[in-house]
Amino acid sequence: MYRMTGLVVATLFMAISAPAQTTQASQPSATTVPDARDLELREMRARIERLETLVERLQKERESTATGVATASASNPTQPTTASAQPPESSRVSAAELHAGVDHHAGADERIGGQVETHGAIEQRYPQLHFRGFGDIDFSATDDPGSKSGFNLGQFILHVASPLSQKVSVFGEISFSASTGFYNVDIERYLIRYDYNDHFKLSFGRYHTPINYWNTAFHHGLWLQTTISRPEMIRFGGRFQPVHFIGMLAEGNVPSGPLGLGYNVGLGNGRAGNIARPGDSGDVNNNRAWVANLFARPAALNGLQIGGSLYGDLITSPGVSPGNPNFRELISTAHVVWTKESPEFLAEFAHVRHRNVLTENVFNSNSAYVQIAYRLPGEGHKWKPYYRFEWSNISPSDPLFVGDNSVAVRPLTGSTFGVRYDITNLAAFKGEYRHITRKPNDPHVNGLFFQTSFTF
Amino acid sequence: MKRRTNPRFCYIFVCFILCSLLSIRAAGTLTDSDVAIVVNPSNPTSNMTLADLRKIFMGERQYWKASNSVVPLMRSQGTREREVILRVVFQMTEQQYGQYWVAKVMRAEVSDPPASLFSNGMVQEGVKGNAGAIGYISAADVRSGVKVVRVGGLLPGEPGYALR
Repeated sequence: MYRMTGLVVATLFMAISAPAQTTQASQPSATTVPDARDLELREMRARIERLETLVERLQKERESTATGVATASASNPTQPTTASAQPPESSRVSAAELHAGVDHHAGADERIGGQVETHGAIEQRYPQLHFRGFGDIDFSATDDPGSKSGFNLGQFILHVASPLSQKVSVFGEISFSASTGFYNVDIERYLIRYDYNDHFKLSFGRYHTPINYWNTAFHHGLWLQTTISRPEMIRFGGRFQPVHFIGMLAEGNVPSGPLGLGYNVGLGNGRAGNIARPGDSGDVNNNRAWVANLFARPAALNGLQIGGSLYGDLITSPGVSPGNPNFRELISTAHVVWTKESPEFLAEFAHVRHRNVLTENVFNSNSAYVQIAYRLPGEGHKWKPYYRFEWSNISPSDPLFVGDNSVAVRPLTGSTFGVRYDITNLAAFKGEYRHITRKPNDPHVNGLFFQTSFTF
Repeated sequence: MKRRTNPRFCYIFVCFILCSLLSIRAAGTLTDSDVAIVVNPSNPTSNMTLADLRKIFMGERQYWKASNSVVPLMRSQGTREREVILRVVFQMTEQQYGQYWVAKVMRAEVSDPPASLFSNGMVQEGVKGNAGAIGYISAADVRSGVKVVRVGGLLPGEPGYALR
């Protein structure tokens, strides 16, 4: 019994003494002999403060010698900031007091070193210019008659972003594409945007049409996308949907609480005479194309996006049909995506309706894809296997979609199996096998594709 | 006659004391391990949900209600505060965080990722000097001149606080 009582007493002693020790450790007094860790912490703090003092002095010197005007004011979240040194304020105050905005300068003691004057400056200069590049090198081999295996130099992309002020920015995307005997240079995107607030941002320029999730999520940065290629419904140079759009675009968030609604509404030139191209140098008719896109990113499901778009245009494409008629185009799309990588899920559907204004004939075509991927856990986190199923049912009599194989929009049923390996955080290697069928009686086409894509 | 102490009672009592002791020690270090969200004292925001924080630090929300810009300030790579924010708010790894901002810049939604600052002191200075700034620092390093924002109605150190 005595042994048990002794144990209880010893435990009680520990319980009482432990918090006291904790307090002593966290608030060393003058009489407490500091241990090695405490001394090390003091040395580190003193060193940090010396460095911060030096940074502040250098900053002051730079400011005094600068000929330009430094705007020490608010900036937007996209802009780099520089914060000056920390004052060695030693007045530790409670979180509750700081929450109430209480100032405790008066009660400051001098724990380490002396006071340092600081200016909480976040310096911002305009304009700024930020560059980023994307590139890819590809290899392909298929059993499609007429195709040749070999390496291809993919697009070399330069992306520029330049804030002109707190609320005005310019963005551009330029591509260099290898062609037979020359390089084709194209301005893929080029826009100037004014941000009024989160709910309204207005821009003018050349965009990737916000009619399709893939088109506005990955643009020309192949490193950004999991797979080697785009889905056929939105491939570059394709005619099924307008990849580019020239005009004006309003975008923003809709006050919707946990639903996280957002929108894009645009008005522009629409398709050119060659419907794979936008009306860069002017519209081909006096009718503007319009696009409206609504999406939800629910707060409770971080990574989920659900949305849909509508696109309308009057297409004038000379020579596609007797009498050179115009065609009314209405495209409706929907998407569900889960952007987390374990798993990643993308699914999109698009319906394209063309109506011959002269004959009132209507042509309907549909296309869809589902893509799933999964970043492996643990040591295998650099590997990301994926699968994509694509399907297109194209109206065989739609005059806007017929033509030779290089320009025609053709039906498709296909599967893609592949794996992505992230060599570093900024470069990836991808390999995939594709198996596709164009028409029920056509032969299957198999292909092996490899790509190294990167950003710099 | 002596009353004999029930050994079972003694074991339970000892266990209770030990548990109390452990909880007291844990409570003593709670604030030190928490990450505080700090804003400029002129910012009227006093409480945010995790979803609000996610929108702000991920660049989905770029303006405060007064239409002045949000300036999110991150800590540099390898710091514990950044690890907590990436895990709880972004729900991303460092690699995914990098890819996320490359994609966001590419989509022309922002022109640059948030600044990453080397010390808690620099974050505090950035917040003090900019009305629209928001940052995060170790709760133990909070000093005057910044305002600590409640997260889900809780302050650092309170039971159930999310950022730890």
